Amino acid sequence: MTANDSPQSATTNAQPFLDVIGIHKRFGGVHALRGVSLAIMPGEIYHLLGENGCGKSTLIKIISGAQPPDEGDLIVAGRRYHALKPLESLAAGIETVYQDLSLIPNLSVAENVALTEQLVATDGRLLRQFDRAILKQTATHALEAVGLPSDADFQGTPVELLPIATRQLVAIARAIATKARMVIMDEPTTALTQREVDNLIRVINGLRASGVAVLFVSHKLDECYAIGGQVIILRDGEKVAQGPIVDYTKAELMQLMTGKQLDGRRYRTGAATGEVVLQAKHLGASGAFEDVSFELRRGEILGLTGLLDSGRNELALALAGVSPADRGELLIDNEAPHFKTPADAIAKGIGYVPEDRLSEGLFLDKPIRDNVVTAVLNRLRGRFGMLDASKGDGLAEHTIKDLQIAAPNIMLPVQSLSGGNQQRVLIGRWLAIEPRVLVLHGPTVGVDVGSKDTIYRIVQRLAENGLAVLIISDDLPELLQNCDRILLMRKGHLAGEYAAANLEEAALYRALVGEESQEVAA
Amino acid sequence: MSALATTAQAAGTMTASTPRRGLFARHPELFTLMLIVLVSAVVGSINQNFFQISTIFDILRSSTVTGLFALGVLIVLAAGGIDVSFTAIAVLTMYAITKAVLGYWPEAPFFLIISFGALIGALLGACNGFLIHRLKAPSLIVTIGTQYLLRGFLLTFVGTLFFMVIPQSMDGFGRIALLNYTSASGATAILPASVLVLAAAAAVTWFLLNRTLMGRAIYAMGGSLSIAERLGYNLRVVHIFVFGYVGLLAGIGGIVHASTIRLASPFDLVGTEMDVIAAVILGGARITGGTGTVTGTLLGVILVTLINNVMILAGVPSTWQKAVIGSFILLAGAVFATRKKK
Repeated sequence: MTANDSPQSATTNAQPFLDVIGIHKRFGGVHALRGVSLAIMPGEIYHLLGENGCGKSTLIKIISGAQPPDEGDLIVAGRRYHALKPLESLAAGIETVYQDLSLIPNLSVAENVALTEQLVATDGRLLRQFDRAILKQTATHALEAVGLPSDADFQGTPVELLPIATRQLVAIARAIATKARMVIMDEPTTALTQREVDNLIRVINGLRASGVAVLFVSHKLDECYAIGGQVIILRDGEKVAQGPIVDYTKAELMQLMTGKQLDGRRYRTGAATGEVVLQAKHLGASGAFEDVSFELRRGEILGLTGLLDSGRNELALALAGVSPADRGELLIDNEAPHFKTPADAIAKGIGYVPEDRLSEGLFLDKPIRDNVVTAVLNRLRGRFGMLDASKGDGLAEHTIKDLQIAAPNIMLPVQSLSGGNQQRVLIGRWLAIEPRVLVLHGPTVGVDVGSKDTIYRIVQRLAENGLAVLIISDDLPELLQNCDRILLMRKGHLAGEYAAANLEEAALYRALVGEESQEVAA
Repeated sequence: MSALATTAQAAGTMTASTPRRGLFARHPELFTLMLIVLVSAVVGSINQNFFQISTIFDILRSSTVTGLFALGVLIVLAAGGIDVSFTAIAVLTMYAITKAVLGYWPEAPFFLIISFGALIGALLGACNGFLIHRLKAPSLIVTIGTQYLLRGFLLTFVGTLFFMVIPQSMDGFGRIALLNYTSASGATAILPASVLVLAAAAAVTWFLLNRTLMGRAIYAMGGSLSIAERLGYNLRVVHIFVFGYVGLLAGIGGIVHASTIRLASPFDLVGTEMDVIAAVILGGARITGGTGTVTGTLLGVILVTLINNVMILAGVPSTWQKAVIGSFILLAGAVFATRKKK
């Protein structure tokens, strides 16, 4: 592979846009990437798959110039680099859309879309006037390309005021504006509903058709199949496979990622028979949900799904006492407690594991122990009302063992754990309150395949021991695999109840999305 | 969340609506203007003498130095930092230059003096910026440190005596009248030329913030340091520029201050940082960074000056000034905070 601008470049398809050659990267004692090589062709879609900690993020950071490799080279559009600087990577046409989308929250849509182009044009020199006419023109063009409004009002809106799906498109518009030749997207669909994902896929296909290479990082295998293209699989810092995704079955992909045999089997067999623990009667909250009734039994796992605006999130928060329902009754063991705060819900034995564990749940810089004990401090009182450290340590040790958290000791800060282990710490905190009902909101968002499986097995074991579990999730296979029954919400109402045992995923998906578009049409 | 529903609504084509925001959320400076009108109306209704040209002149004159400092603070806040050392930079620059000029070149031209003030101020400020970038330390900590350091240096090595007589050219500049106005009662009001310095600084700052890539980089850094870095902004340059610019304005402010009060005291200015920061906050800049306008800042300065200087006309004891400023800040905090909520 030598750098060349030979006449061949006319037939761009024959020339990789990016060649990654023998990249090594070490962090202290950890060998994060062990000689990874891969080629990215223009106009092709790639899915970079692997468990958390396999080196995906490191590889992306090296390609986008955020980190230098220890060994190896990158050839971008025929130019060889040992390490790229962020601006060089941008100038070469590599646009990276991280999970936070790399949008500056307080700048306007137009500025977020079109400033990078000008920054690249001045080679990063800042004491230059920027061209507002070109800024507007570039932004208009790029926004139209992704199907967003391009009027002055929208262009002037600070990005922080936009919903996440729109921001996602703004980030892609920026890629178009910078004439990116390769777009890297890190878990772009995590926060999106199915419909928004569909729209995103349409935009991505548009990019691909115009010769842009797209590299996805995702945990959602079903989406990868829906998008198509090639898979690149990393395991323990090495590339273990690359090829068209259609050549692999889902089980094969999972096996390649984890190195283990995993199955997508369904755990539950039928309706639970335990006594009713939680009963909702005509629950309602203004503008969020109305007339929601259901019951949840001991040992039962109930699924709840719906689009983002269906009211499912609000219902979850009402059950957790975060924003209580205004109407109807919520019975726990046939008593009607009045939840005003999360503390009330905790006292009644409802544990709520929030969706966004980073911002709503965990104290990232604090040790595992502190994160586990925080909901049960009153039980850890020793003499003179002081905290009894040994009780806390014992509880944390127990949690680590019980939930198979991969951590050498309980004093490790939570942020040093992988996503799956972080999630288990959070579940451990709520198990510590010895709950009657455990509400899991998006329990495996951002968690890799192997860890997902561990979490599922933990949830199943908890249910077998008599805990009533409510899982709120977008991930339909997850619900089908784990639940006895699945409730579907639409526009604030319960729109259906399904027994999970023999339900087809496609049928559930149609119920989730299909019927609504008819309603819109009507 | 409601806009998300909109996004998901149309099958096929994506429509995203522009979120609606309140008037004050879009233009926080209108709130500042409203408070100015309110205070003026209250004071004016109690004391008719308020509505005079001389009042405007007074306020503009008293706003000049605060305004210069405030423009600096605006830029730092926009960049997501804070600076409490600018008064120390101003007083060190002002006192050291005054002393040097008196000792070595008493007839030095004003243009040279103020340029030198700007230069020394900018260098001291740039040191702040360099330290903040290099140490990756919060700017509050670094500038508290340099404030003490500079002040200690000033009092230990430069001097502790007052100069009751300042260099001739500075004294002369302080006396130049831009406008003269003689009222019916025969009293003369003067608008000093020093306000032109503020006007020029405001124009330059506005241009910098709104028309240059540096301005966008400043707001971007204030919005998110790590994202700005990823997008290819050179944060070292931005840090050094921002704090250098505050220093530059502080140096100029210090010289203008000494020229107008015709006194150079090494104990001056330090301690007034909060008034300046309060003015910028009242002008609508968020303390958390990434926002703020030149217009808003100037209005904030006028509001604070108004409260400090004219409430006495309404018979309000001067001790109440701080309470009023404090309650206005809380009020502004409540009004501006609502725009953060979803």
